[in-house]
Amino acid sequence: MNKKQISITLGIMCLILTLAICVQIRTMNSANSTVSQTLSDNGLRDEVLRIKEKYDNTYRELENAQKKLEEARQSATQNDKNAEAKEQELKENNMLLGKTDVTGDGVEVVLQDATNVETSLNLSEQLIHYSDIQLVVNELKNAGAEAIEVNEQRIVGTSSITCEGNIIKVNGEKIGNPFIIKAIGSPNLLYGALTRVGSILDIVKDYGNKAEIRKVDNIVIKKYSGVLESEYLKEQK
Amino acid sequence: MKKIKFRADITAVTVVVFIVCIVLVSVMLMQFRTVEQTDITEIENMRESELRTALAEWKSKTDDLSKQLEDANEKIDEYNKTITDKKEASNLVDDELKESNILLGKTDVYGEGVVVNLADGEIAIEAYDLIDLVNELRYAGAEAISINDIRILPMTDIVDLGDYTYISINSQRTQGPYVVKAIGNKEQLSSALNMKGSGFIDRITSNKKVASTEMENKIELPKYNQELEIKYMQSVDRK
Repeated sequence: MNKKQISITLGIMCLILTLAICVQIRTMNSANSTVSQTLSDNGLRDEVLRIKEKYDNTYRELENAQKKLEEARQSATQNDKNAEAKEQELKENNMLLGKTDVTGDGVEVVLQDATNVETSLNLSEQLIHYSDIQLVVNELKNAGAEAIEVNEQRIVGTSSITCEGNIIKVNGEKIGNPFIIKAIGSPNLLYGALTRVGSILDIVKDYGNKAEIRKVDNIVIKKYSGVLESEYLKEQK
Repeated sequence: MKKIKFRADITAVTVVVFIVCIVLVSVMLMQFRTVEQTDITEIENMRESELRTALAEWKSKTDDLSKQLEDANEKIDEYNKTITDKKEASNLVDDELKESNILLGKTDVYGEGVVVNLADGEIAIEAYDLIDLVNELRYAGAEAISINDIRILPMTDIVDLGDYTYISINSQRTQGPYVVKAIGNKEQLSSALNMKGSGFIDRITSNKKVASTEMENKIELPKYNQELEIKYMQSVDRK
């Protein structure tokens, strides 16, 4: 091997490496500039993280307090038949309002946007719309559902299912495809109502979307995570 | 002699070049690493406006929770007091029960709000129009709603019967014109429904149906008139 050849090979290698490093440094610099731009947001980001942590802590504390409250209520009403009955009614009210975690048999409905999009058909029809979810929830209620959740959002007396741009919101929280709707009630009634010909699931499937329903035992539906209170309601005497 | 010196030179050069190569390669590797890391943080990065909305959302949610927590703690204290003082807890349960009955719809209530009148135009009002309206009212903060004096509960269904002449609400048959009453902040409710173009009223009227709203200072809603029974769900034991 001659000296010239080696030198040239080495020279070329060095050149390539240097170039690569230069390119890298450039990329780094541009990335750095965006990082330094967002550096001013770092304070904000920290604050978001902190408030999230505070939220989690408060949530845990609240869970404990509610447990304690139930115990206190129970022990305070223990030897009082009248109060005991009221305590029971209050418990039932809270289940109906969505203020407690509940469990029971029922059904699970899964709605999913079409995966094989047929470009020959109307594209927007091959998506699950908020109105489809509204109608499924309504049909479940019609079939006697006692508790319903949509993607872990409990349906309560103040729940709305809305659409902002392309995002579906339940209880003001964003939810995404696939949509999993759980309902506690008579599994046979719920299943029968949703699988009858012409049901909302049929319609959703006709448009090319996926819609499935199955009976499930011992579904657990979590309580509503927001606040239920009245500001404008006054009791009629 | 000359040859040997040259030999030594070539070894030295090779070694130096080799070392330089190693250094260069490791610098490159380091760089790759840093670049990868910044990519990850980039994904985590939200824009300032997004951060601000996220912050506001979490703040209001945390405030809500704190309020509930305060409330629960107060009630615990009150119950514990009745235990230590050996007083009857009945009154205390009464208060809580009353509050939950109001929220659920088991009492007659009144308050400010809006009245929405819906009637058939060229096209008849369908159950979905009412579902849509109830949904909009709830979104705008309605606390209690009735349609033709049938109280709407959390699990109330609204379905068409036969050929759209009747609508069933809570298994009670009713027909148009529909008077929908909602208690809540009347300005907020009214402005949400009357939003130009995308609001409920404009949507309904552009579909050749008739709709109007009125704000009122005192709206009266009847209580839910049927039994509420629980057959299938149980409270999850939280112990």
